[in-house]
Amino acid sequence: MRFGEVFRYELSHRLRSVSTWLYAGFLFLIGFWVIHVAATGTNPTHVNAPQALAETTALFCGLFGILVTAGLFSDAAIRDRAAGMDPLLFTTRLRPAEYLGGRFLAALAINGILALASPLGLAVATLMPYLQRDAIGPNQLAAYLQPVLLFLLPNLVLIGAILFTIAALTRQAIPVYLGAIAIFIGYLVAANYWSGITNPMLSALADPLGINALKAMTAYWTTSERNTRLIGFPSMLLWNRVLWLAIAAALLAVLQRTFRFTQRDVKQRKERRPGSVDAPRQVRPAGAVPQVRDVFGSRTRMRQTLAVMRQSLAEAMSGFAFPLAFLATIGLVVLWGWNLGESVFDTITWPVTHLVAQVVLSERAIVIPWLVIALFAGELVWKDRETGAAQIADAAPVRTSIVLLGRFLALVALIALFQLAFLLGGILLQALQGYYAFELGLYVRILFGWHCVEYVLLAAFAMTVHVLVNHKYVGHVVVLLATFFNHSALYGIHHLLIYNGGPALTYSEMNGFGPFVTPFVWFKLYWAAWALLFAVVTMLFWVRGPELGLRQRLATARARFTARAARIAGLAVALILAFGGFIFYNTNVLNAYLPPQKAGLPQAEYERRYARYRNLPQPVIDGAELRFEIDPEQGAVDMRGAYRLVNRSGAPIRSVHVETPSGRDYEVRSMKFDRGAKAELVDAEHGYRIFALARALAPGESMRFSFEVAFRPHGFRHGGSQTTVVRNGSYFDRRLLPFIGYQPGFEVSGDSERKRYGLPSRPSMPGPGDATARRYQSGFRDGDRMQIETIVGTAPDQIAVVPGMLRRSWMENGRRYVHYSSRIPETFGTAVFSARYAVKKGQWKDVALEIFHHPPHRANLDRMMSGMQASLDYYTSTFGPYPYRELRIVEVPPYSINARAFPSALALAEQNFITRTEPGLVDLTFFGTTHEVAHQWWGGQIRPAYAKGRRFVSESLANYSAMLVTEKVLGPAEARRVYDFQMNRYLQRRGETGKDVPLLKVDDDMPHVSYGKGAVAMYTLREQIGADTMNVALRRFLEKYRGSGPPYPTSLDLYAELRAVTPPSMHSLLTDLFETITLWDIKTQCAASRRLADGTYEVTLEVMAQKLRADSAGAETATPMNDLLEVGVFAPGKDEPSSLTRHRIRSGPQTIRIIVPHEPSRAGVDPYRKLIERERDDNVVDVKTGG
Amino acid sequence: MTAHLSIRDLSKTYPNGTRALKGISLDVPPGMFGLLGRNGAGKSTLMRILATLQDPDDGTIQLGELDVIRQKERVRETLGYLPQSFGFHPRVRAERLLDHFAVLKGLVDTRARRDVVAELLRRTNLWDVRNQRVGTFSGGMRQRLGVAVALLGNPKLIIVDEPTAGLDPEERVRFLNLLSEIGEASAVLLSTHIVEDVEELCSNLAIIDRGEILLAGAPAQVIGEMRGRVWRRSVTRAELPVLEQEHAVISTKLLAGQTIAHVFAEESPGTGFEAVEPDLKDVYFAVMSGHRGARAAAA
Repeated sequence: MRFGEVFRYELSHRLRSVSTWLYAGFLFLIGFWVIHVAATGTNPTHVNAPQALAETTALFCGLFGILVTAGLFSDAAIRDRAAGMDPLLFTTRLRPAEYLGGRFLAALAINGILALASPLGLAVATLMPYLQRDAIGPNQLAAYLQPVLLFLLPNLVLIGAILFTIAALTRQAIPVYLGAIAIFIGYLVAANYWSGITNPMLSALADPLGINALKAMTAYWTTSERNTRLIGFPSMLLWNRVLWLAIAAALLAVLQRTFRFTQRDVKQRKERRPGSVDAPRQVRPAGAVPQVRDVFGSRTRMRQTLAVMRQSLAEAMSGFAFPLAFLATIGLVVLWGWNLGESVFDTITWPVTHLVAQVVLSERAIVIPWLVIALFAGELVWKDRETGAAQIADAAPVRTSIVLLGRFLALVALIALFQLAFLLGGILLQALQGYYAFELGLYVRILFGWHCVEYVLLAAFAMTVHVLVNHKYVGHVVVLLATFFNHSALYGIHHLLIYNGGPALTYSEMNGFGPFVTPFVWFKLYWAAWALLFAVVTMLFWVRGPELGLRQRLATARARFTARAARIAGLAVALILAFGGFIFYNTNVLNAYLPPQKAGLPQAEYERRYARYRNLPQPVIDGAELRFEIDPEQGAVDMRGAYRLVNRSGAPIRSVHVETPSGRDYEVRSMKFDRGAKAELVDAEHGYRIFALARALAPGESMRFSFEVAFRPHGFRHGGSQTTVVRNGSYFDRRLLPFIGYQPGFEVSGDSERKRYGLPSRPSMPGPGDATARRYQSGFRDGDRMQIETIVGTAPDQIAVVPGMLRRSWMENGRRYVHYSSRIPETFGTAVFSARYAVKKGQWKDVALEIFHHPPHRANLDRMMSGMQASLDYYTSTFGPYPYRELRIVEVPPYSINARAFPSALALAEQNFITRTEPGLVDLTFFGTTHEVAHQWWGGQIRPAYAKGRRFVSESLANYSAMLVTEKVLGPAEARRVYDFQMNRYLQRRGETGKDVPLLKVDDDMPHVSYGKGAVAMYTLREQIGADTMNVALRRFLEKYRGSGPPYPTSLDLYAELRAVTPPSMHSLLTDLFETITLWDIKTQCAASRRLADGTYEVTLEVMAQKLRADSAGAETATPMNDLLEVGVFAPGKDEPSSLTRHRIRSGPQTIRIIVPHEPSRAGVDPYRKLIERERDDNVVDVKTGG
Repeated sequence: MTAHLSIRDLSKTYPNGTRALKGISLDVPPGMFGLLGRNGAGKSTLMRILATLQDPDDGTIQLGELDVIRQKERVRETLGYLPQSFGFHPRVRAERLLDHFAVLKGLVDTRARRDVVAELLRRTNLWDVRNQRVGTFSGGMRQRLGVAVALLGNPKLIIVDEPTAGLDPEERVRFLNLLSEIGEASAVLLSTHIVEDVEELCSNLAIIDRGEILLAGAPAQVIGEMRGRVWRRSVTRAELPVLEQEHAVISTKLLAGQTIAHVFAEESPGTGFEAVEPDLKDVYFAVMSGHRGARAAAA
């Protein structure tokens, strides 16, 4: 009865509040927006796929919903006290349980209904006609309802219970908001660590929001599964939900027992009520107050600004919230950054300063500055009004602009303080991980330079929002949402149109912020001008005196729009136009602007116009002399060169097609032939030229083509800066030089992109069995191996490197030159490097080893050196000779590639030089080096045909070779770690990208197949047929195709050699591994042992097995299984099986009996996990001992 | 040096339709000026408008040479304002707070400011608690700190809105003493619903009700005009309705169980009535009940 009344009263109060409907609107918008953001991505999973909806609902809608939950539940618990109604209420016959229960359930009911707004937003967004249709699948009602029932509502109960308890016990709003933020952040932090829990059940249960259980369940789902399969109500998830609901109930029970109607003040505020004093009985004469003349000049205004700032800052920093947040920030940085080194490019790196500053402090911890800005902006706007001090302060002779400026400066100071916390946290993180090379200067530059500018502009926005919205809590939510969506929805819109926008930047230890500084500065100046305009608006609408509705505020604003305000607004607009104009001139006039979703347009147009020349006979390059003049300061390179062109087509060639990069920063200064030629077509926009020869080039005849071109960027671009030629760490390849003939390699690849540009869908490459497959070795077909002479000039303090043999180096005109030539004819790839390198030298037999590195990057040089030596040792003895007298590693900034092999040279990006190794982790520096060295054989000597499956030949073999060296040098355990890493990479990425094809037909854009599955398959095959047999096949393959093409070898040629050495009984395994997508599913259901009379043990295994074939979309069908697999039995305390025997395993349930001489502790099928299985943890189980 | 405050035809209607001020005109000379009226009469609205925190719909306000509505910045430079309800940041020390407001009020010279702050703390008898947090202050102490803030910067116009509400009688007296001291140097506009406040302190007063000024003048003068027209008689509760029908009863109060009624009449209303020396309360009630002032004139 009384309970019902409390419930009804609360409900009707809520329904009449405007904020309730605002909350509903926000939740709707979150759902609506998430779909928009997701729909711009390239994920093949539909944005409304059941799995995607479940994750979105649980994660985004759930986490942002916490904000609403905090508002509703704290209001329900605290409102009476805030209004001073509690003494009246608590002296009625109402019992605490009725009061709490009624309030809690009413808030829960309202929130439960409001929560439906976000799935509604999701659903409505999918109907929006302007979204990419192929990103959206058919809608299913259950796909929306299941996540609500499984995640949204139970999580609401849990979070509501926590926040309500905090509110009821503290009777203050601030702890509730802190609690909400703690849940929000705590969740994000914890999400980093769940991967560390190895027990899957525990890991699934530990997540209070159940998202981890969902992720674990769907991790290896394929695209078609994700798109169609409903989450359902799996038991793992249900147990998780039951567990956490029970915890919520327990919490409420505790609250019910602890909660008292007494007023807390009586008990606690005893602290200090020091002696009060009365008003004076005898008033001192008036004249006693010194008559100070107050002056209202600029000095006063400055002092007033500082006074407001100081007071606001002191106010914000007093109390427990600030020191708590400050310390929490330091702690969070350490927590968030702890696994920093494990996630960069799949390598384990040192926590170097720029990684800490960029990855931890600006990506993972980005919510901290956002929260600080949103919350403190709100505090600064509201504090005076809430304490009532505004009543007096508003009438003080202080200009509104000064009140604002002072507060804004206080906010800036707070931001700086939190950046300091970041700095301390970063250094602490580094120190705890044993890295002591703190770069304080770099921290300061990044945190107080780049980031502060960003955040100060955001702060201006936040204050404006808070003043305009004029409702504290709604203001917080608006600021956070706007910031969040601003951050994630930038895609595809000109940076000038998104507040605080600008191109992304990449830090390089070699090159610093290099080319990114200039655009950053201009963009930030432009946004600062906007911030100034915002400031004027804020000044106009700043509430001074009682608030009197919109009309009055507008009238006040009009009155405040004085000539001075108008002048400042005018100045702001002028600056916006000036800076914006300058940026526009740079991004859209000096450079061609294309939104990212149209970036391929020129490429598409190139194909549309000139694809008809695809098969036109053209001469090929048979020799090249090149001269590069690098100007690191200007980021420019001038290029001069000559090609020897030969007609190998068998028909006379009358016209030569020359192709160059397009774009406004590429200049063609001259192109000449050593015979009469006339330019028939010049299409500079698409970089295409046709020269008609006065005299046709006869078959077998050659001629000379010379050219002068230059790459000279103008101004800055919209989509990031050019990083080809930079101050330190230039790296470019032959793509800056002219090509001869139409090059299919420049065509738009990828079906969805081709569709977007209206290009006909077609296989981007021939299949390995196609008749034409063996004709070319690359999408660039204008030459094979040839002699190349290269001269490179660069700045005097830099060293230029080119793959090949160094002939000479000298100084000339204050510049440093090198002359390289090819030792043997090479593929025309031409990589040029130039930087301030230090050189580490070594030797392997008669091969000179050199590492050109950034001077401070010394940590990994020895491991790289030993990687090169071990590789050369192993590969020369296993596969065949190394054809060069030198092998170099050259470091490049992390702009374009991670690693790439050239003849006798490997380019490795910076991150490879800061990777570290620890016991138990894969030594990726060593592994990476051996992988790239292997390309000197696979990719260098063997050049696979330009056809599907070519990466099987180059990457799978390189990865397999690297595993062999790793195994030999670092031991089988390390090799198995690499193996697990590759297996996981394959299975996980196959689920995420939805792309999988058989190895023999692997596409270029599926590294998880070519590197990951390729290594796994080769390794598994080796285990079956033996290393020696494998090597015989590889050696034969190499000998057969080592020479110049065509015909070039395809994956089928490699496969034929493998098949030739494999006994026919195992051909089905070849089919499983290479020709098809096969997934095994083996589960040892139970194992029992029995001691036999002779002291041995009989182990009985109950095994369930099946084999599945997947098509390219991931749809699976069972196929009969009959494979010879390893069965292992482990002695107690052993990691290696003490008994390993082979058994035929068929589809379905079966029993296996093994006799072992010792007592078994664990046993199972395929203990080394050599088969491709999604669930590999159930292969081995504990053995039960029985009768 | 003190400026004359002149209010002409001031009107203010709130968005919800409440007409808080209906064309008020008023002249406030230097010295203490009492604005008397019951809760909701429009006092606070008028005060806030005078304190530049709100804009009227109509009318003009001149403070000496200054247009209060348009030259807000300038007015604020000579203004001291103690609102009806206000607060201070609870964690700040009293002296620090006063110092802060002193800078805001334009006292930028550090040494001079220190002297002013110290003197004001002494005058308001807060010197001994200057290092205490404001959050621990009693109501009276807070109110005095408010006055100290209002006094900063030698204001020519001081607006004090209902300052005695919530103070105990002793504290109230001492507080009023403080105000009267100030009144000598500036124009002090004091709004209150307590008649005694005005009677004891003000050299001028105005009675406001429902957005209109019903009466304005000096206390002695308005009381003098009532002299010989207020009569008193004690009645039983049963007799009261008859009395109210027959006579202009301006107030009734209980005294030792008996009801004593004050009646307004040009001459003795009859037996049982005795003449009373009128006080400001009689004036106030007579005005409010429509027997004197603007309402009586209109009737």
